[in-house]
Amino acid sequence: MIGEFEYLILSAATRLGEDAYGAAIRQEIEDATRHRCSIGALYTTLDRLEAKGFIKTRMGDPTPQRGGRPKRMVRVTAMGVHAASDFYAAVTRVSRGVSWETNRVAVPW
Amino acid sequence: MGDEPSCGSMVTRVCWRLVDILSLMLHPDERDVVRGDLTESGVAGSQALRDVLGLVARRQAAPWAHWRPWLTLVSLVAPLGMLLSVTSRGTADGSAVYVWMYANNWKWGDLGNAGFWYVFAETVALVFKGYLTLVCWSWTSGFVLGSVSRRMIQTNSVLFSLMLWFGALVGAPRYFAYYFQYVHRTFGFPSLPDPNAPVFALAFYREMFPLIVQAVLVVGPSLWGMRQCARMAGLRPLLRKILWIAAIATLAAMVIQNPELWVFLHVYGRPGIWDSWQISLLQFVVYWPLGYLVASAIGRRWHRRMASI
Repeated sequence: MIGEFEYLILSAATRLGEDAYGAAIRQEIEDATRHRCSIGALYTTLDRLEAKGFIKTRMGDPTPQRGGRPKRMVRVTAMGVHAASDFYAAVTRVSRGVSWETNRVAVPW
Repeated sequence: MGDEPSCGSMVTRVCWRLVDILSLMLHPDERDVVRGDLTESGVAGSQALRDVLGLVARRQAAPWAHWRPWLTLVSLVAPLGMLLSVTSRGTADGSAVYVWMYANNWKWGDLGNAGFWYVFAETVALVFKGYLTLVCWSWTSGFVLGSVSRRMIQTNSVLFSLMLWFGALVGAPRYFAYYFQYVHRTFGFPSLPDPNAPVFALAFYREMFPLIVQAVLVVGPSLWGMRQCARMAGLRPLLRKILWIAAIATLAAMVIQNPELWVFLHVYGRPGIWDSWQISLLQFVVYWPLGYLVASAIGRRWHRRMASI
């Protein structure tokens, strides 16, 4: 089973779709968790996910906003979707009936 | 308070400069991507430095989860580092006596004496041969280290340098102290006064000179050798095999030609070992890095010339 940070990356990349790349995924994770996401953790986990076959990455085109440097574009594979679904299902099952699940308040975003 | 912005911008510049330097330890593709991410997110220099430092640390630490880097450390980095430190110390001490002799007995009038020039040339040739051999041993050690673990060259450069400095400051002095004790104890040599005592009574020849010799003739060439091994990938298999044989023979020569090591094995006194033709041939093989570097330089020049036509 994947880890929680791997799940965050897979979810963020899936949500971003065609626009999923390093900096955007990082921003998405920071917005969701309200914690800093280090570049080191992000890129080493991307490598791990790619080695497991959960994502595919490719070099994107350079853009002026990035000083003419390319992006590392990320695409979640069917295996990745399956692994993230399994993780989510496990978290949902294990959380059933616990206090923070039953007293859950709506998140503003 | 007035100069705070300029001070801040200087710190920022230093941080970004460090980011540039640290990024060199990343794969070129990843370096571009990470620098692009940092530019896009508009982070401060100090934050960018922390981010890159974290990534570099993770990248360098990752291979240590496998057994190969540990094997390289135990079987090559540590023994070669120690062996080179001991050899370097022996070479430095040997040449320190000649340097001291000429520095303390220099007379301009001797320059007109033909006998002076004869002895001087003989001494220079002897010291130069010792230094050249040490450089070739060091270069080959770096070359072998770089070849066996190309992905770990940066980490191994740092570890090998640390090992060499540890060897120079702690390992080699203790080794020689033990060696002299061993010789006195085992062979019963009388404790005669050291004829070179005036040389090594001076802190420069005792402490500084071996470190200078080690830095110039060992650390520099071994790091150079590590960088050069990257070119091995482009060579033909047969040539690669020849280079490997030459490198292994050179390392073997380094062990064989260290008489102190053989004293411990009690084979020093056996006649015929040290003046055999095989040992003499090994001495020539040791200089293979010179041939390799000259051939590489000629090859590069030839390629450039062909490309420009």
